[in-house]
Amino acid sequence: MEEIAEKTATYLAHRNPDASDVVVHDISRIHGGASRQTYRFRATWTESGVAKERALILRRDPEASLIETERDVEFNAYRALYPTGLPVPEPVYLETETKWLDRPFFIMEQIEGCLAASPFAQDPYGPLAEKIGEQFWRHLGDLAAHDPAAIGYSAEDEYPAGETCWKTALDYWEGEIDGDSLCPQPIVKGAIRWLRRNPPPPPKKISVVHGDYRTGNFLYNDEGEIRAILDWEMCHLGDPLEDIAWAADPLWAFNDTRPGSMIDRASALALWSKHSGMKIDPVALRWWEVFSVVKGLAIWISAGKEYDAGNNVDPILAFSSWYCTDVHNRQLVTWMRDLIAEEERL
Amino acid sequence: MKPDVQKVMVNSFERIMTDVAPHITSEYAIGSAAVIGLMAFQTAAEFERGAEIRVQENVAFREIFSDAAGHLEESDLCRRLQAAAGSSDTCLLISALDKTNDELSALLIELQTHIELLDTAWARTLEAQIWNVLGRAAEARRLPHPMVAE
Repeated sequence: MEEIAEKTATYLAHRNPDASDVVVHDISRIHGGASRQTYRFRATWTESGVAKERALILRRDPEASLIETERDVEFNAYRALYPTGLPVPEPVYLETETKWLDRPFFIMEQIEGCLAASPFAQDPYGPLAEKIGEQFWRHLGDLAAHDPAAIGYSAEDEYPAGETCWKTALDYWEGEIDGDSLCPQPIVKGAIRWLRRNPPPPPKKISVVHGDYRTGNFLYNDEGEIRAILDWEMCHLGDPLEDIAWAADPLWAFNDTRPGSMIDRASALALWSKHSGMKIDPVALRWWEVFSVVKGLAIWISAGKEYDAGNNVDPILAFSSWYCTDVHNRQLVTWMRDLIAEEERL
Repeated sequence: MKPDVQKVMVNSFERIMTDVAPHITSEYAIGSAAVIGLMAFQTAAEFERGAEIRVQENVAFREIFSDAAGHLEESDLCRRLQAAAGSSDTCLLISALDKTNDELSALLIELQTHIELLDTAWARTLEAQIWNVLGRAAEARRLPHPMVAE
């Protein structure tokens, strides 16, 4: 850990030539961010004769992870969304050169005095659930309402076609499943064929999709205020219903019928509609909910592959491959039985 | 092996959670210890039932294949379904059962894909039966969680 602290201090001094005596203190690794190695630390330095201090986060690429993504995807999301007022940490530096910390990384503001809930804990928000849930769905609606080009997230000519964005997403995750499966997967493959036979209508608009918006990926304080939405590494442009479906995935609501163990589903969807300005097509949302479980299974399958190959033997990858695959397979087969029976009735 | 593996694994989980993790100072290591403990808890169940659920699943898949082979026209797929339907699990090592299960699962995917394109009442019935078998198999493989009553 001392080596990372020294290298980080050297990097910070490089990025800020006006700073002297740059020191990195209290560095520690945070558990759970398996797609990045995440460290919190405090940096102190002197600038124009004034002693300064800042709490920061370092997100470094791992050698292998749950999700293979480019770190600039996440940094770009923070850069575009920080000025909008959506609660995200201030991005500070993005570094793609490997000479500083062996792998690419970025540095952002550390949000202090907050915690993230575990999706595998019973009633993680307790009496704050309603207050947090209201903000959670409001922020997601606000995110969908933003014009991606207007906030500088993406140029308009980079927008995916609304008619095919579902296929782009499904092709990607099926590719991950086919490439990484350690054993045949009849449940998820059957679901993928159903998704292809029953494509959703195009989205009302192309939005910034967080990609992993859920319990566990935001920080809140003791008063129940959401202070930071994190983990934007799967951020992309697409159908905003993808985020609703992922946030409402039963996996993130341990033993609870409330999405993410916050507020009831009807209230959640109503809040999203109010703030996004869009109505939710229930048929389209059902498609994206099935898709979400497929995407989840792709992530757990890939985690198992990385662990099995010895590329990353963090136990969280093995646990994800065991437990999350189990939960999602049972969820998916239940939905598929209902969908097949419904098709038979029509 | 005595004491029973299940007992040792569950006690190991409890020891990790109550006696080991609280004394670790690194936040990252505490998280890892908790995850390792949870997996010990789940291993206890899998050790006891592992062979049984795999044999039952393989039997259910073979029954599906037998039924399907009786309805399909003569073809390479039909012949492979007949062969698989007539096979059995002669070795009860988990690795051997997994290998057979992988072969049967791959064939099941082929069968599902094939019948989804058929426009017959029998195909729809078989499709529903396959999802029911997969549902029972997924439920049999449910991993226990210490915070959820079984």
